[in-house]
Amino acid sequence: MSVVSFSSVSKQYKGDGPLAVDALDLTIEDGEFMVLVGPSGCGKSTALRMIAGLEEITGGELRIGERVVNDVPPGDRDIAMVFQNYALYPHMTVRANIGFALEVAKVPKAEIKSRTEDAAEMLGLTEYLDRLPKALSGGQRQRVAMGRAIVRSPQVFLMDEPLSNLDAKLRVQMRSEIIHIQKRLGTTMVYVTHDQIEAMTMGHRVAVMRKGLLQQVAAPQDLYHRPANLFVAAFIGSPAMNLVTAAVGGSAERPTVTFAEHTLAIDHGAIERYPKLPDRIGSTVILGLRPEHFVMEGDADLPDDQKLTLNVDLAEAMGAEVHIHAHLDVPPVELDGAPVAAEEGEEELSTSTTNIIARVEGIHTVREDEDVRLAVKTHLAHFFDPATGDPLR
Amino acid sequence: MSVRRKGPRATAVRVLTYTILVAVAAIVVFPFVVAVATSTKNSQDIFNYPPTLIPREAQTVPAADVGLEGDSIPLYAFADTDAEFALVDNNVSVAEFRPLDDLERVIRLDVSSGERTGETVTIDGEEEDVFLIEVDGAQLEVYRSRLTSGGLFVDVADPSDARVDLVNLVEPLEQFGPRLENFREVVVEKDLGRSLTNTILVTIIVVAGQIITSIFGGYAFARIDFKGRDRLFLLYLGSVMVPFVVLIIPLFQLMLQFGWLDNLAALIIPFTFTAYGTFLMRQFFVAIPKEIEEAALLDNASRSTILWKIMVPLARPAIATLSTFGFLYAWNSFFWPLVIINSGNPDGRVLSLTLSTLGGRGSADLNLVFAGAVIAMTPPILVFLFAQRYFVENSASSGLK
Amino acid sequence: MSETNSVDATIDSSDGVSRRITRPDGDLGASLKLLSLWHLFGAATCVIGILLARRGGAAELPWMPRFALQGFFSFAFVAHMASAYGVSARTRWARPASLAVNYLVTLVGAAATLHLFNAYRAIGDLGEGLYKAFVPFLVICVGLIWVLVAGQLLANRPTAVGPNNLRKAGWGLAALAGVWFVIKADPSGLISSFGDSITRSLTMGALALTICSALATRLMWSRAAAQHFGTKASTEQALSGLAFLSPNLIGFLVFFAFPLLFSLWVSFFDWDTTNTHRDFIGLGNYVKALSLDFSSAPQANAGTEALKPGYQVLMNMDWFGQHWLIGARDIEFWLSLRNITVFLVLAVPLAVLPALLLSSVLTSRLPGMKIFRTIYFIPSVAGVIGVAIVWGQMFDATIGWINYLLDLVGLSEAGAGQGWLTERSTALLAMVIVFAWMSFGFNTVLYLAGHQGIPKELYEAAEIDGANPWQIFRKITVPQLRNTTFYVVITTSILALQLFDIVWILARPAPGGPNNATRTPVLTLYQEAFTNNRQGYASALAWVLFIIIFGFTSFQFRRQRDVATSGGLS
Ligand SMILES: Nc1ncnc2c1ncn2[C@@H]1O[C@H](COP(=O)(O)OP(=O)(O)OP(=O)(O)O)[C@@H](O)[C@H]1O
Ligand SMILES: [Mg+2]
Repeated sequence: MSVVSFSSVSKQYKGDGPLAVDALDLTIEDGEFMVLVGPSGCGKSTALRMIAGLEEITGGELRIGERVVNDVPPGDRDIAMVFQNYALYPHMTVRANIGFALEVAKVPKAEIKSRTEDAAEMLGLTEYLDRLPKALSGGQRQRVAMGRAIVRSPQVFLMDEPLSNLDAKLRVQMRSEIIHIQKRLGTTMVYVTHDQIEAMTMGHRVAVMRKGLLQQVAAPQDLYHRPANLFVAAFIGSPAMNLVTAAVGGSAERPTVTFAEHTLAIDHGAIERYPKLPDRIGSTVILGLRPEHFVMEGDADLPDDQKLTLNVDLAEAMGAEVHIHAHLDVPPVELDGAPVAAEEGEEELSTSTTNIIARVEGIHTVREDEDVRLAVKTHLAHFFDPATGDPLR
Repeated sequence: MSVRRKGPRATAVRVLTYTILVAVAAIVVFPFVVAVATSTKNSQDIFNYPPTLIPREAQTVPAADVGLEGDSIPLYAFADTDAEFALVDNNVSVAEFRPLDDLERVIRLDVSSGERTGETVTIDGEEEDVFLIEVDGAQLEVYRSRLTSGGLFVDVADPSDARVDLVNLVEPLEQFGPRLENFREVVVEKDLGRSLTNTILVTIIVVAGQIITSIFGGYAFARIDFKGRDRLFLLYLGSVMVPFVVLIIPLFQLMLQFGWLDNLAALIIPFTFTAYGTFLMRQFFVAIPKEIEEAALLDNASRSTILWKIMVPLARPAIATLSTFGFLYAWNSFFWPLVIINSGNPDGRVLSLTLSTLGGRGSADLNLVFAGAVIAMTPPILVFLFAQRYFVENSASSGLK
Repeated sequence: MSETNSVDATIDSSDGVSRRITRPDGDLGASLKLLSLWHLFGAATCVIGILLARRGGAAELPWMPRFALQGFFSFAFVAHMASAYGVSARTRWARPASLAVNYLVTLVGAAATLHLFNAYRAIGDLGEGLYKAFVPFLVICVGLIWVLVAGQLLANRPTAVGPNNLRKAGWGLAALAGVWFVIKADPSGLISSFGDSITRSLTMGALALTICSALATRLMWSRAAAQHFGTKASTEQALSGLAFLSPNLIGFLVFFAFPLLFSLWVSFFDWDTTNTHRDFIGLGNYVKALSLDFSSAPQANAGTEALKPGYQVLMNMDWFGQHWLIGARDIEFWLSLRNITVFLVLAVPLAVLPALLLSSVLTSRLPGMKIFRTIYFIPSVAGVIGVAIVWGQMFDATIGWINYLLDLVGLSEAGAGQGWLTERSTALLAMVIVFAWMSFGFNTVLYLAGHQGIPKELYEAAEIDGANPWQIFRKITVPQLRNTTFYVVITTSILALQLFDIVWILARPAPGGPNNATRTPVLTLYQEAFTNNRQGYASALAWVLFIIIFGFTSFQFRRQRDVATSGGLS
């Protein structure tokens, strides 16, 4: 078990190309389950592969335990990795696949056998030990890849989107199995995913990356409730946080925000979390409201100045809750020149309207094209500087 | 071209298609059939005209059947009867008689037959005695135009019926009779055996060497990145366009200086490196997912472990292709052995070389030469038939798309 | 793991990024001291080697190995000295340098040792052994095939006991037959000659040098050494890349790159086979090969006297009422060029057009197409010598099948057989037929691959438009296969330009005959080089031929390179 620490580690694929990972500083504690998330191409895999030794580090220093491993070949780092496509050896049986590392290390045959069988037992693979990978289902292959990693009892596990090739149900099951195994073995784990739910449910801590830069490292709840910047706020959460540029007015005691034709009063609770908000009276901020911050008018006891009326574009009834889609006739919030939501791959239909999603109790019947009146828990709202994207803390 | 499935026209197209295909196949196969047929003929049969595809041998009866001692005796047939005649003596005196009323007709009989009538006639200015002979129960006036030696033929079924005639004018009775000793003879007596084992040796080592060097080189080109590697690879590719004739003389000089002239080493060592094979293996290795190799690297496998335990087992089809190409190349090569194994050292010769010297046009040993040719052609054809899946695919994709 | 544990890596944080100082444990330190000494010693042996190559053994060594050895030893001397310094000073470049010199000395030493043991010539003896022990050899083959088959069975059921035992039995059989082979092949002569050579001091020296260099290479190759010298991951990668490539690369350099350049160099000399006579004559060989003389002759059928001295009549022509005479200095070469042009013009269409037509038929989904494809391919694998011998018989004037079959269809008088191979007018045509017969099947397969690239919709659309098969072939197949046709024509032409084997066999006993009617450039080259012993001149001919072929190839090469490199390069 070991600490993995990056100190301003950079990676540049081509001599004159952009930095795939830019001066990453990150320490993964012993026994910690660290999840790396971020949009596609942000450098998660690159960071992981640098730990594995599969990519050369072009700047900074990477340590596993006490040792600087920049020039240590992969095999000497005592780490195990699970690849997205499993990378099983196609011509070897499950048994040989799992035992390969031990065989290379010249472990005695009897021990290979017992350790392989133990690992298979743990993963429920015992009856498939003598099959070739091509005769296994996707989930079973995934388990073999896991088995190959755990049989060696390495210092660090690395996993690069290991569940993305599985169907939804299997994914849920494997998710808990991986958590279970990691807890049981207590091995340091670095896990790359772009699945929000995996990130939030699996990690002790989650590191969010964007364009090679580390945005925030925090426990999942902190990440959700205290995003370090506009990007994290927009990226974490599904459906994503509603962001809109708003003019701040009112008094320092009870400021108001105005966007499109709506005005909302901000509850005092929000000012405790964002003390700098009153300084912005008379200018604009970016207001962030999570979908669950909306409630149907009658469901909560909120003052009238915290309510607004929206015309429903689309209502998705999901049983326990209803997702109400509406739009505001203002341009969407931009981050580095692109609409924030666009980065996750969701097509922003228009550049002149901002979509709003509200999540309300499932008992309500909401029809399209109707007006609904919603109350807003503004004490939970988030506020960011429009210029820098920093939170107004 | 797609052929429509139904209707009389479709049937016609189909018939035409198969007719063309079969005709071409016949043109392709015919020389091989001739080769096999000729290789099993005996040394008389090869000169028969018209040529036949079926090896024939003379029909015989045991000597005892006609009351003689010794070996078996060949059988002949006369045009006027179905009976089989044995040639019991091929050196008897024969008299040729010509009837006076039909000077073109020739009747051959034993010298003792015929009675002189005492009369004479003048033929072409020569005075000849007139004889009286009996043919088919009729008496004929003839003169004796010539005395010669011929054969005595006896009817096997009825020994009393004996005839004399010139042996080459009687049709010998023949039957299907392949002469398989040709193969033994050419291998043992014409020294083809030694050439055959030399060829086998050369082929085995060349193929093994090509596989090993191509695996190493192909792997390096595919998977181990270093500066200048891709430029070097282009150089390898370029080398494929250099025709072998340009290298013949300098390679000959090199072999001369190494002291390898007339030695099998010269046929083997320069050919254990192949740019084409390296290219083939590289293309295959490039297509193997990189993660498989990375997984092995993380398992602390060394490069050579990865190569032999993971890449090579996966590359079996490519290796099979390479072996087939290497086999055909090494087995069939002729020009280079001709240059190198040249000073009459029969122990260094390979099959193609020996075959080329076995006999020229119209050689008396044509059946043996053909037996040798069949021995030389069979292994590559067999290898091709077994490996054609790999071979055909790769020949086709070697430069196309 | 064990290797890394023996070296305790600590970090000097003052310049931690670029350089790591490690504290070697006693073991590696001592070995490295030894290594420095070895490099010094190696440098000394290099000096001895240079002297030996110059003087002592010079009488035995031909010039090529002598120069090569001197050059190599000089390089090794410099590299050894540098490594000796680098290893003791623990510089980063010391490891690559030391590895390079040790590895190369190992290879050269091994090659030299094998030479001194007569191992290369012993391959000939091995041929004899194989002849004597052919039956055991066949049994070994059977055993190995058995193993292979059992392996196939195992591939599907990896732990099945039956196939596993089968495989073991196969190995057992092969091993037993191996012993039998050794007994039959009787290696006693080999062993005694081995014993003789090992007692020679030069042999022992070479052997010792090889072993020591190999040990040094191994030491330097280890991960411990890599850590000690702080080798970067990229350098490590380059080293292993070169190591893997080296067997191939050495072969490439020795048996391809060097001969190619050497051949060019030789072509500027007047040089015979045995090296007794060598004069630099610049482009003289090329001038001689290519010189032509045109003159207008006073009357038809003018002879040599109308040409410059040294020229012979190549062609006699009547143009616009004037008689023209073309003469060449090397009449044989020019005749061969003329022949090969005629050959090309006849053989290429004959080898390509049937392939185009047949491939179109073979792409239909009718049953049996694979069988036909296989049959058509056979001539190209059967081996040219065997094939030529068979065709030589087919073309025979008196008992040949061609004349007989022509007679059967009423095209020729029986008995008055056409001497296909003995008459000037038909000899080349006969070779064309054999060549086309051998190559059309291969071309058919190439075309079949081309057919895969034609979109099926084109045919469907044409059928809907009511086109008949011939129209479809003309309007769709042929234009769509243009690229394939290009490739096939080029490769066939390149093959045809190098025509030799067929001519050699079919025109026996006088290759090139009758009366130079089948003389080809390669044949001329062969005779110049190995019959007339004019290797310099023959090299010039080879380069002329190369340039002609290159003209054809360069068309194709660009496209081929694009395909070849598409697998991940660039
Ligand atoms: N081998 C390579 N050569 C050059 N650039 C590369 C290479 N691999 C990745 N990159 C670039 O580096 C950046 C980071 O890539 P990386 O694979 O780490 O992204 P990722 O976060 O894993 O994305 P994804 O979620 O799609 O897997 C990308 O811009 C990518 O284009
Ligand atoms: Mg990735």
